[in-house]
Amino acid sequence: MELTTEAVEALSKAIAISLTGFATAWAQKVIATAGIGAMVEDGSIFGKALVLTVLPETIVIFGLVVALLI
Amino acid sequence: MTRPEKMVRATLAGHKRYLEPLIDVLHELNIYHVEDYVEDEDSFFKIGKPIGYGEDVSRKLVKVRSISNYLDVNKSDAVINTDVLSSELNTRLEKLDKDISEKNSRKNALENRLKEIESESEELKPFLSSDLNMDYYSGYETLAAYTGTVSKPISEEHIREITNSSYLLYEGAGHTFSLFVPKEYERAVYSYIYDLGYRESRIPDRQGKPSDLLRALEAEKADVSTQLETLDADIAKLKEEYGDFIMASDEFLTILSEKAELPLRIATSENAFVIDGWVPENQFDLLAAAVNSKTDNRVYIQKQEVNLSDEEEVLKVPIKHNNKGFAKNFEWVVDLYSPPVYTEIDPSKILMMSFPLIYGLILGDMGYALVLLSLALLVKKFLKSEAINSMMNVLIACQISAFIFGFLYGEFMGMPLASYTGDGVTYPGIIPGFETIIFDVSIVPGEFFMFPIHRTHLMYTILLATVIFGLLHLNFGYLIGFFNLKNQHGLKEAVFAKGSWFVMQIGAIIAIAGYFIDNKILLVLGALIFIIGVIMLFLGEGIQGPIEIPGFFGNMLSYTRILAVGLSSIYIASTVNSIAFEMIWSPSSGFGLMTIVAIFVFVLGHTINSALSIIAPGLHALRLQYVEFFGKYYSGGGRMYNPFGYKRIYTEE
Repeated sequence: MELTTEAVEALSKAIAISLTGFATAWAQKVIATAGIGAMVEDGSIFGKALVLTVLPETIVIFGLVVALLI
Repeated sequence: MTRPEKMVRATLAGHKRYLEPLIDVLHELNIYHVEDYVEDEDSFFKIGKPIGYGEDVSRKLVKVRSISNYLDVNKSDAVINTDVLSSELNTRLEKLDKDISEKNSRKNALENRLKEIESESEELKPFLSSDLNMDYYSGYETLAAYTGTVSKPISEEHIREITNSSYLLYEGAGHTFSLFVPKEYERAVYSYIYDLGYRESRIPDRQGKPSDLLRALEAEKADVSTQLETLDADIAKLKEEYGDFIMASDEFLTILSEKAELPLRIATSENAFVIDGWVPENQFDLLAAAVNSKTDNRVYIQKQEVNLSDEEEVLKVPIKHNNKGFAKNFEWVVDLYSPPVYTEIDPSKILMMSFPLIYGLILGDMGYALVLLSLALLVKKFLKSEAINSMMNVLIACQISAFIFGFLYGEFMGMPLASYTGDGVTYPGIIPGFETIIFDVSIVPGEFFMFPIHRTHLMYTILLATVIFGLLHLNFGYLIGFFNLKNQHGLKEAVFAKGSWFVMQIGAIIAIAGYFIDNKILLVLGALIFIIGVIMLFLGEGIQGPIEIPGFFGNMLSYTRILAVGLSSIYIASTVNSIAFEMIWSPSSGFGLMTIVAIFVFVLGHTINSALSIIAPGLHALRLQYVEFFGKYYSGGGRMYNPFGYKRIYTEE
């Protein structure tokens, strides 16, 4: 099998998306767990917990943008 | 810009004799926000004690709440007069409590009996195989009896061999059996059935044939079940009969208990009390007049303006939003993040424009917008709560925006309305004959402006547009931040902390322009202006300021999610289509089992995608407000205005 430019491009896109996706998921897992824990103590911080949880989404968005630009 | 409603501090002091009437009038007014008194070790004033009737009220309240929990009462349409209610409260509550505890203990007894019947019938089952009278299973001197289950079938042949044909074997359903053998073969037989996985059944302490016993149990079970059903119906009837009463007494007692417990939040001495709190400035006169008339001018009221230069006091002022019209609906979006501080601007009005705009830019689909719009209208029609109403109003504003952008994007349920021809390939649209108009204008090479704007074919142009939109949005944030800070800490701080960002951006633009037209003077000038900006920022916010500069680019790029989230739903839709109708089954291969699988995958995929299309734009639009936009001008941290009082729903004075 030959490693054409197209194949390398597709692979790069896949790496960009999958690694950033994994990173986001991992970060969100940690943050959301802590957030839910904190919300048990004080329900009024839902807004802040939500914001903190969606922060890492930026990572995968950047990944998607990079994949589009490749 | 709107600011939170103007508040004044109102201190009330007087003799304890006037405390109860004062509490009554404050509670009725429902405008006075009580500041909790903090007692020190050496403070002269101590925290007060609850009013006498408090204990009795709390006891009844616990009873009412447990009953309402048990009967699952949560709504009522009636409004009961408090005089009527208080006269009948004790007798009705006692009666209801007695009724319910009696019914509940009967219900428990019946349920326990039902469980016992189940286990007794289970115990009898192995004995059905022989159906001998229960007396016959024990009490022999020369016989050994085995009853129970085995995991492998018993070979009668083998038993016959062991026992020289003197045995009695009964086998029933599910490997149950009864076996009688002479004592002399006991060991051999036991070791054989032990190998087969013998589990002995306990011999029930009963008389008669198992089948008769079982029949009796069945009959009893049916009887108990009917009794339970009647009991449940009785309980449901209680709920119907007492529902209004329970809701009303809950409210009535809650109000009494709030009143009784107010002394726990105020300062008292042996004979006097002092209540500290806040009231909206325009309602101070109302408060003073009502208090004076109810207490014969015996309570001293002092009005005090907020000391704006005392930061600690400013943080304490309770926040009452002061928006009019549609902006009111967006107050909860602000409060979800954090209510503003007293001197800050209230961003509800800004969110009213900015949130639906970004939501629409992301979703941009006429189909989804219509579905969600009708959903929101339906919820609004059927659930008449203030909180849900404003939530739905926000959703409606978002859907209108999404519909407008859906028209601009020409999208319906993830599919294009107009057909598009590019690079010799034609992509069909839903509306036959509707072709995309392509203009001979482009920013990014190879991508021409068009109507409707196909997001999939104008990717790089839109990517650039979202970053520029982000830049504008962020600068708008800095501008608001500038005025906000000017109001809070003066012009100098505003210029350094927020104005510096504009200086840096102007510097950067000049420098970039200089670089491109190859003008060294412009380049150096731009760089200098940029550095001045950085120094200003450092003076305004300390070392934290310049550290945030790279973050600004991150924020700008973060707006690319407007395209990315929108595109992802389009791509998921087309991926589902190709998995279902290309990979699993294609129309050319004829109908069969795979057709059903393909349709299943198609429906499932689009359902998930629709749900995602609803959640994702809301979450991302909110995030752009909270993280990127609010970060530039809003910090929040105020306390909500929570007046001492109650909004009666189920009772009236």
